Amino acid sequence: MTTESMTKKIRRAAVLAGLGLGVQLVAALHWTPAMFIVSAVLGPPLVLAGGVQFLAAVWRNIRDKGAV
Amino acid sequence: MLPIPAVVALIVGIAIVAFLFFGAGALAGQTVGRLVLLAGLLALPLLLSVGNISYGLHESSSTRFCLSCHEMQRHGKSLFADNKQALAAAHYQNRLVDRESVCYSCHKDYAMFGDVTAKLNGLRHVWAHYIAGVPKKIELYKPYPNSNCLHCHDDARRFVDGVAHRPILPALYAGTTSCLSCHRIAHDMTKVDADDLWQAHQR
Repeated sequence: MTTESMTKKIRRAAVLAGLGLGVQLVAALHWTPAMFIVSAVLGPPLVLAGGVQFLAAVWRNIRDKGAV
Repeated sequence: MLPIPAVVALIVGIAIVAFLFFGAGALAGQTVGRLVLLAGLLALPLLLSVGNISYGLHESSSTRFCLSCHEMQRHGKSLFADNKQALAAAHYQNRLVDRESVCYSCHKDYAMFGDVTAKLNGLRHVWAHYIAGVPKKIELYKPYPNSNCLHCHDDARRFVDGVAHRPILPALYAGTTSCLSCHRIAHDMTKVDADDLWQAHQR
């Protein structure tokens, strides 16, 4: 995997993590029972998806370089 | 709104993620840079999410959270009913329960999964509020269990030595006689409707 392609994937991960935190921020600013549920259902899974995307990009890069 | 520190932490987290978005190209090529990305894109957002959800769960046990739906506001008002015999009013006004979590203190079960069941019931309430519609008469899902009362009153002297309690203590502990068979008024809605409310003197 080229550095450019890895960077693109890391940016995608950053967008997902940012969206996850963004949802939680909106809920924190407008705190109602419904917003709490929306934030709990959407926020952490988006953050997790970003983390997984980042780890997958790094893992593929390391594997392509033959380090593992 | 959640407390300022929680909001600020989320804003800082988003700023860091945005910074890493733009710096990803430079950071991805170095080992240290990847560690920074790991911390900023995985560890930090996860920590913030866990903290946020934990705080949210804690906050969802608060009285103001329960009363934030208008359907529950009469019940909230009943905490101030001028009736010393009404359970909710007596417990609230005499500070027998923490005023910050008065609904939760009495309405969650104290069994192993009491907290989980209460939170799942909370989901049902939100569903009813937004989607299914609120029933005309708000009722408990099951008869009020003595174990909830006994969680606090269990070996309290006033309870154990109470003249009316002594002959029926075994039945109360076994749950065969409900506490509510004598303490009939949980929330005094008559007083609420009459606006007959008690208020502590302001100092």
